Amino acid sequence: MNTQRIPRSDKELWRSLAIQLPVARVSAPAAVSEMDLAAWLEGRLSEEAAAPIEAALAADPTLRRAALDLADILGKTLPAAPQRMVVRARALVGFETERVGGGGLFGRWFSGRAPFAGPRHALQQGVMAVAVLVIATGGFMVGGGLGESLAQQREGYPATGTASTTTTTSNEVSEFFAGDGI
Amino acid sequence: MAELNQIDLRALTRGHKRTWDAFVVAAAPLINAVVRRTLAPYRLSEDDVLDAAQDVFVRLCAQDFRLLKTYDPARAGLPTWLSVVSRSCAIDHLRRRRQSTEPIDDVPEAFLGVEDRHVEKLRIPDGLLTARQVLILKYLYDEERDVLEVARLLSVDAQTIRSTHHKALQRLRAHFREEETGGGG
Repeated sequence: MNTQRIPRSDKELWRSLAIQLPVARVSAPAAVSEMDLAAWLEGRLSEEAAAPIEAALAADPTLRRAALDLADILGKTLPAAPQRMVVRARALVGFETERVGGGGLFGRWFSGRAPFAGPRHALQQGVMAVAVLVIATGGFMVGGGLGESLAQQREGYPATGTASTTTTTSNEVSEFFAGDGI
Repeated sequence: MAELNQIDLRALTRGHKRTWDAFVVAAAPLINAVVRRTLAPYRLSEDDVLDAAQDVFVRLCAQDFRLLKTYDPARAGLPTWLSVVSRSCAIDHLRRRRQSTEPIDDVPEAFLGVEDRHVEKLRIPDGLLTARQVLILKYLYDEERDVLEVARLLSVDAQTIRSTHHKALQRLRAHFREEETGGGG
């Protein structure tokens, strides 16, 4: 037994683990969700909650480098993004998205939601109904409503029109028969 | 980044145009930085970087803002979550771009080379080290990172990293001493 061995350096000891020991029985860590990784990066997780994420990081060199990169970026003052990037991203959401998503009576109907759901919408719809009623009544009054002149017009015009059409038709038929000598 | 934390998330996920515009202005520098850093080793064109950044924004608002709705402000700040999402999107973009194929003869040989980085899976006996200890040792030895850098990442001071490192090595030494004693005699 060698008790007087030269102590290996820390790094050598670490490297020796890779050389001497088999890789078998190294269990694959579970995938880390974006939300979990973000919480871990902010140091908001308890020791138990952080352990699986740290195990996943320890097992994946790409993830380890990513964590360092993200921590570095988050700690810096960042330069402005290219204007083209901002313009393109802004164009992804238009005002129509807001209208369809946000509501309005037809928007809510088209999107399959209950058109009168919610207290705020009940009030809105009530105001709309009153406004429609006022406009309709106003229009009816301005247009003469059930006044005498309108009634006369409605009675007079169809009768005249029918009579003249009939007369014209009968004259044409008479001319046709007359032309044939009947 | 402070502007990002002031975004009205409810209005944003309802598709409020002005809130979206404000979000884009506040988030673009971060998304730009993360996408550029993620894609930097692959030397892609400026158009590719812009496309990858656009992918991030598309993913955020797709399917009635489904991804944004999964964000939980109680668990992490919006900039941190957004940086993780941006990195994932950039990697997805890269994968899709690679799948869309390029004749192998057109690719410079240097890009096809695989970095000869000696990374081996270690077999550390179960329970010997904590996950944090393993992670710290990997950062210090496999990645050859600076103690301060690791401390900043783990939101602790440098002394804590040194102490954790020291304890981990003590355990490893003790373990192998026992193993050698047991094996030898």
